[in-house]
Amino acid sequence: MKIPNRIMILLLVIGLGLCACDQRKTEGTAPEVETTGSAARYDADVIRLQGGDWGYPTPFAHYPRGPGGFKMCMIFDSLLERDEKGLIPWLAERYAIEDNGLTYRFTVRDGVHWQDGTLLTAEDVAFSFQYANRHSATWSYIFDAVAGVTVEGGDTVSVRLKKPHAAMLSSLGRTRIIPKHIWEKVERPKEFTTPEAVIGCGPYRLTGYSKEHGTYRFEAFENFWGPGQRVRVIEYIPVSEPILAYENREIDLTAVTPDLLPRFRDDPAHKIVRSPAFWGYRLLMNTDTTACLRDVSVRRALAHAIDRNELVAKIARGAAVPGSPGILPPNHIMADGPVRAYPFDPRQSRRLLEKAGYDRVNADGIRMGADDGTILDLDLLCSSQEVRMAELIRQRLKDVGIRLTVRSVDGKTRDSRVRAFDYQLAVLGHGGWGQDPDYLVAHLCGDVFDQNAAPSYSGLPGLDAPELLDLLKRQQTEIDPARRRDMIGAIRKKAAELLPELPLFYTTGYSIYRPAKYDGWMFMFDHHSLSHSKLSYLQRSGVAAMR
Amino acid sequence: MNHRTTRRLLEYCFTVWVIVTLNFALPRVMPGDPFLHLSADEGDEVAAFSRAQQDYYNSQYGLDRPLAEQYAVYLSALFRADLGYSIYYNQGVTAMLLRRLPWTLLLVTVAVAASSVAGCLLGSLSAYCRGRWQDRWLYPVMIAVSEIPAFLLGLVFLFTLAAGLKLFPLSGAMTHFAVYDGVIDKIMDIARHAVLPVLTLTVVRTGGMYLLARNSMTTVLARDYIRTARAKGLHPVRILMRHTLRNAMLPIATRIFLSLGGLVGGAILVENVFAYPGLGRLMRDAVLVHDYPLIQGIFLLITVSVLSANFIADLVYGRLDPRIRETAGVTP
Repeated sequence: MKIPNRIMILLLVIGLGLCACDQRKTEGTAPEVETTGSAARYDADVIRLQGGDWGYPTPFAHYPRGPGGFKMCMIFDSLLERDEKGLIPWLAERYAIEDNGLTYRFTVRDGVHWQDGTLLTAEDVAFSFQYANRHSATWSYIFDAVAGVTVEGGDTVSVRLKKPHAAMLSSLGRTRIIPKHIWEKVERPKEFTTPEAVIGCGPYRLTGYSKEHGTYRFEAFENFWGPGQRVRVIEYIPVSEPILAYENREIDLTAVTPDLLPRFRDDPAHKIVRSPAFWGYRLLMNTDTTACLRDVSVRRALAHAIDRNELVAKIARGAAVPGSPGILPPNHIMADGPVRAYPFDPRQSRRLLEKAGYDRVNADGIRMGADDGTILDLDLLCSSQEVRMAELIRQRLKDVGIRLTVRSVDGKTRDSRVRAFDYQLAVLGHGGWGQDPDYLVAHLCGDVFDQNAAPSYSGLPGLDAPELLDLLKRQQTEIDPARRRDMIGAIRKKAAELLPELPLFYTTGYSIYRPAKYDGWMFMFDHHSLSHSKLSYLQRSGVAAMR
Repeated sequence: MNHRTTRRLLEYCFTVWVIVTLNFALPRVMPGDPFLHLSADEGDEVAAFSRAQQDYYNSQYGLDRPLAEQYAVYLSALFRADLGYSIYYNQGVTAMLLRRLPWTLLLVTVAVAASSVAGCLLGSLSAYCRGRWQDRWLYPVMIAVSEIPAFLLGLVFLFTLAAGLKLFPLSGAMTHFAVYDGVIDKIMDIARHAVLPVLTLTVVRTGGMYLLARNSMTTVLARDYIRTARAKGLHPVRILMRHTLRNAMLPIATRIFLSLGGLVGGAILVENVFAYPGLGRLMRDAVLVHDYPLIQGIFLLITVSVLSANFIADLVYGRLDPRIRETAGVTP
């Protein structure tokens, strides 16, 4: 039997080869674990979470999607941080906004060390702004927006903008601070992935990363300036089925679908948390190419005809909240006050359609215009994953006499067509609903002000709402928080009146963890993941004290 | 190198050029562009790219140059074995492929070897016992096995053997952040992680190999020289191994070479079920995010491996069956 012997030899060679090339990697990425002594000061020694490759965690090299950026934030601090209620001072002890929002002054904290032992200075902060203005970070907030940066009095950094913008405090505050002595000679930051590229001043340092396996290991940085870490080591490992991995105690926190909730609900060993609703589906309306949608009565009729509670129950299986016509989700910190509601009411929908002139019905039960006899026949563009949702909408609209044809394409084709305004109605789902409400400009106006690559930032073609557009533009330069809040409230009300788009529902989702293992998890005010905030791993004292 | 081999080689070179060109063109005619896919609409945060940023990256990656120039740059880089730089993953494509390739090679070579041996043995047994109970049982069972999708079988193994009985790890290719006692310890760990993906691939591939071996063997077993061998009183194992299997080898060898040619893309579903860090998983991710250079690199690797396997199969045929060389007018 010569053949099997040859195969055996081949396998052995491959196995040894693999082993030889991998041994070095393991030594490099898995440092020895200290088991006693320092572990006592932590609430948890090692926390394991679902891994996957999200890029090398520098501000420039992590991948734009998914949790890559939040891993980077564990290493790199910023001037401001996010807690449950809003922005809090972090590397900046205080700040001031001057010249009607053109100048921002940040006083940089003393005694902050980089993870290589060097002291952080205001020069580093100024350099970080200049660098991010010149080289686009993956999550770029200030690229090409800064006119000049100066250091004043040794500990104050003054940033002058090209033009004022209300969301700029958050943008400047969230820009990552990088060490000048390391980055000043780097010309291609996306390709800078040496070990010193991950030297930050944040609470954790990177002690292991494998791109092909999708693993990360973070260890508490002992000289961290801020609140003490509660977890010594955070490890991200690849999992096939997250819930199986959680049950097998391979990971300590995971998302759980509503169907599986009864399995854990009565077990005190597990804690289930419902996340805020910051991921949502929108029904986009193209009033430019679709004449009937220009009539606000038709748009309102659509809103009354679509049962958003049904979508929540049947599509999201309860793990969602119905969309608000005011666009901002109910968990948003600026979503106060009621706006015009459009409860599910087919009779009201029919009345509105009649008011719009569609008061005749053809043999198929489809409404026709009284003047020219055009029938209410619309196309709904959706991705293949949203066909069930589209079918439910089709059934409900048929009940009021609107014929809807569902056009299902792959997700990226849908995105391209949304960007090209090649649709009549479209379903689009995306995240980011908890962020600064300036995203309303991008949602509604798109390239009226500045076009962007994301389909959610495409704007709505043919939107004829000068008052709303004016409000949207004015809020961008309103620096006073109270006045801006009022303006956002007015925008929500106006959007609900005019219904340029209809948010269908915002998904909430559930997370599950074992409190006995670790119970420090929290949500940032604008984000829906427990494991993404660095405050989830820190003592809630000092600058991070609960508010 | 003789005339026939040279001609075949030239044909393969032409095929490679056609495929390289298609490879360059296809990602660019797919809907969307890299920025649409880099935009993190599907994630938690919206990572959006302003016009200024798009210009910055387009210029950095050469995507703002005319297509003809991009094509020329692509071809000249290929000659230097430079497959480009991944837009999404921020790494050289060649380096990425080289780090993933060993894991896929491990899975697929073991699975191809095991399924070939098992398929041939069971196929031979079935053919030799044709009409008897062994064949009557094996045939429908193997037909059913060959029809089970790999991902379904993988999930069944995952739920039963890994999650239920806890015999094997749930995912990955090794225990991460572990400190090993030695090389043997590490090999055992890697082997333990490879068991379920290899088992899945083996079971899925054995059915096809069995059917092929059975058919081929049945044809050969009906030949006169086998009847003569039986009449001479030769041992059944000798008849099967020496006289039947060798003559039935041609289609089986073709199948094995095709399987080896499909090494790179052969384990996509299984690698995804078990979160195994091979090329199949990388290919899926690359297509999802429209990473042009990476898609081009992976497809090129697949092309080259399939064509190389075919070329080797061409050469091996001549050795397995001298009649092929004779018809081609080649002297040994």
